[in-house]
Amino acid sequence: MAEDFSRRSFIKGASLGVAAGYFAAAGLSSTALYKQVMPAEKLNQTDIGEVKALRMKVISETSWYDNNVLLNDLKGAGGLLVNQYTIPWTSNGVAAGYNGNNAGGFATYIEADLMDGSTKRILLDTGWNPAWMEKRFIEEGVAEKLAKKQIDYWIISHEHFDHYWGLEATLKYNPNQDVYVPKGFYTEGFDLLKGKAFPKAQVKNDFPHKGKVHVMDSSKVNPLFPGAALMTFDMPIICRVFGEQAFVFNVKDKGIVLVTGCCHMGIITYMETVRKKIKGGEKIYAVQGGLHISPFEDWDPQYDDLILALNKYGIQKIGANHCTGFIAVEKMISAKLPVVTGTKRNMTKRDIYLGNGDTLAV
Amino acid sequence: MTTKTYDGSAATQEMETEHHYEELDKIWLEERSLTNSLAQPLRGLLGFFLSFGFFMALWYVTMDPRGILQWYTPMYGYMYIRWLLIVAIWQAYIFNFWPFKQKWMEETHPLVKGPIMIGINWAITGAIIWIGFFWLIGKYSIPYFSWPELHKVGMTDFFAREYAGLAVLMVAAIASWLAPIWPMAFENYPWHKLTQPAKGFTVLSLTSLLTIFVYFIFMHPHYMVLFYPWQKFAAAMPWWYESAKTLSGNYNVGWIMCGTIAVWLIETIWERYPFRLIKSQPWRGLAGFAWVLFVALIMFNTFNLMQDLAWGPAYEGGKRLYAPDWRYLHSGELAVMMLLPALVLYFYFDNWPKKFSTEVNLAIRTIIVVVGTFAFNFIYYQISPPLLGTQPGYSHPQQFPMAPVILWIVIMLYHNWFMDGWPGKRIKKDK
Ligand SMILES: [Fe+2]
Ligand SMILES: [Fe+2]
Repeated sequence: MAEDFSRRSFIKGASLGVAAGYFAAAGLSSTALYKQVMPAEKLNQTDIGEVKALRMKVISETSWYDNNVLLNDLKGAGGLLVNQYTIPWTSNGVAAGYNGNNAGGFATYIEADLMDGSTKRILLDTGWNPAWMEKRFIEEGVAEKLAKKQIDYWIISHEHFDHYWGLEATLKYNPNQDVYVPKGFYTEGFDLLKGKAFPKAQVKNDFPHKGKVHVMDSSKVNPLFPGAALMTFDMPIICRVFGEQAFVFNVKDKGIVLVTGCCHMGIITYMETVRKKIKGGEKIYAVQGGLHISPFEDWDPQYDDLILALNKYGIQKIGANHCTGFIAVEKMISAKLPVVTGTKRNMTKRDIYLGNGDTLAV
Repeated sequence: MTTKTYDGSAATQEMETEHHYEELDKIWLEERSLTNSLAQPLRGLLGFFLSFGFFMALWYVTMDPRGILQWYTPMYGYMYIRWLLIVAIWQAYIFNFWPFKQKWMEETHPLVKGPIMIGINWAITGAIIWIGFFWLIGKYSIPYFSWPELHKVGMTDFFAREYAGLAVLMVAAIASWLAPIWPMAFENYPWHKLTQPAKGFTVLSLTSLLTIFVYFIFMHPHYMVLFYPWQKFAAAMPWWYESAKTLSGNYNVGWIMCGTIAVWLIETIWERYPFRLIKSQPWRGLAGFAWVLFVALIMFNTFNLMQDLAWGPAYEGGKRLYAPDWRYLHSGELAVMMLLPALVLYFYFDNWPKKFSTEVNLAIRTIIVVVGTFAFNFIYYQISPPLLGTQPGYSHPQQFPMAPVILWIVIMLYHNWFMDGWPGKRIKKDK
């Protein structure tokens, strides 16, 4: 009995002591204790130089035309973890689609004026439906520039169907165009580049790639030319894709401009990483491209966290589109964020964001 | 369940009872007397691999994105898994296997009673989800509890299924935290003298009532912000936003998961210590409940801190590894990963060791479980993509280690609660 009592009071006393000490230190937030035990963060900033000016033209941000059709394809295949190359995507009979095909695609054409007066031309991504992408490439003069070998860089942000599978539209005009892909590309992605077809997913490449393939590392900043760099993020993404890369530009007298494909890493994560790794990264002037918030017009309270937090970064221009989603853009507008509006042309559905054929100039 | 020593060593049993007070109420699982058909470690390994094999088969058929039913999208499949768990807890702990007689449970071969109990488990799970939530509550009360109803009011079919899945599974998650506290900490006080099914229905009613309150306070506000525009007339603004730095209910999912796991760590490897040293009810029960909460918060904060140390702090609005709400959720996942080695030790390796003083036994088991958690965590992230059809990496928003781990745990419960751990063990015939 006495032993019981002493054991009991010992355990009681010990646990109360531990409890009081622990909670006094920790609180309930995730970062409170961290701040006490970790040294201040170290910045490891790379100087990427400067560009004079930047123009981003949206070639296509309409990746698919009927959201319900796309989601039913995904649901029928078994959800968002299923390998994209094994999904029978709906390619005809879609009223809202391009000639009945639900597939559109994503691509952005970028011109950067360098300090020495020259201009670099970049094609970011190559869409999904080659017919649609070729039409857009022709309409915006990209096809001609490809054929004349005037495109300096062809960058694939990530392996997603809507950014990469329209590669015939690029390779038809220049199969020798060097390509930059992020670390994490799967074998299927490289095979497709070489000319393999995936009949179930209705994707093929009749123009095998003959240029160089650069796989961009995720451990460091990858400079492209003065004032421009690429950053790769390691992460698994829906439809069994891994890794995404995006642009960091440093525009003289303006600040940092981030240009993304889908931004699966999240725009806040991207800005925080840039702040730590790029000289001048604290001052984000503009962001352009897909911000992957509500691509399927779905929602999650986490996305509200993102929109509430965006206001703290002092961004001057948000040229969002594509997988940013209309709900997210509407919420940004009501949160008084500086969303750049568009002109609702070339099959873009609304004018609240930058659409097909619109340009953001910095 | 707590005092039972499966190796049948009488000495150990006596030593244990010396240090604590008699329980008011015991369930059949605690009284069930088992003999070993095989020696260790063969028996432990056999049980471990049997449960793993059945888990893999069931995963492939029902959940695997490359498999047959492909329910792991992930919320839809996870919903079923969480309900299988709570229904198993109700069957064994709350209803003490009623309407089956103790005699029948003892005399029926595990290969006969196992499928019967599992069949009941699946039938109740299906009925609750499809009739209780999808039809009754969804149609006549709250559409977000129902896949078909949410779809009918305009949500895409895929997300209707996912959103409803999360809501329905959270009810089970909260119930599987609260329900076992009654038989475990309160020993069903003050209803310990009731017979089944009166006792079962009483405890079920009380814990379900508590579950309703906890759900509406800790999870319903998540649905205020989930729909566009914010549903401010139907639900409160997530009140945890300031301290949690997220509007997401994952903040509560995280610590409630830690609570669920705390219950079972206390029940298994910690043998209900230290609150069982308290002499009378309801004090023992109240202390037990406080202890569960305390252990849960310790786990939650420790796991949050470990992630901060590993990846750096999360920031508001971050995604993936840097999303505050994902961190909380992942703390819950780490807690679930802790339960797996604990149950393997408890069910398959006789809750070793038992030969030292209680403190030492508990401390050694805790160390084994902590080391086991790290090992399992490492192995999980190495081999889950080929094995489970998931994707490599930690932060994929459409996958939760909780789901496969809990399904494996459910299989272990089927094996040990419904089938006496057969063929490694069987019911003592001379009883
Ligand atoms: Fe995209
Ligand atoms: Fe994408």
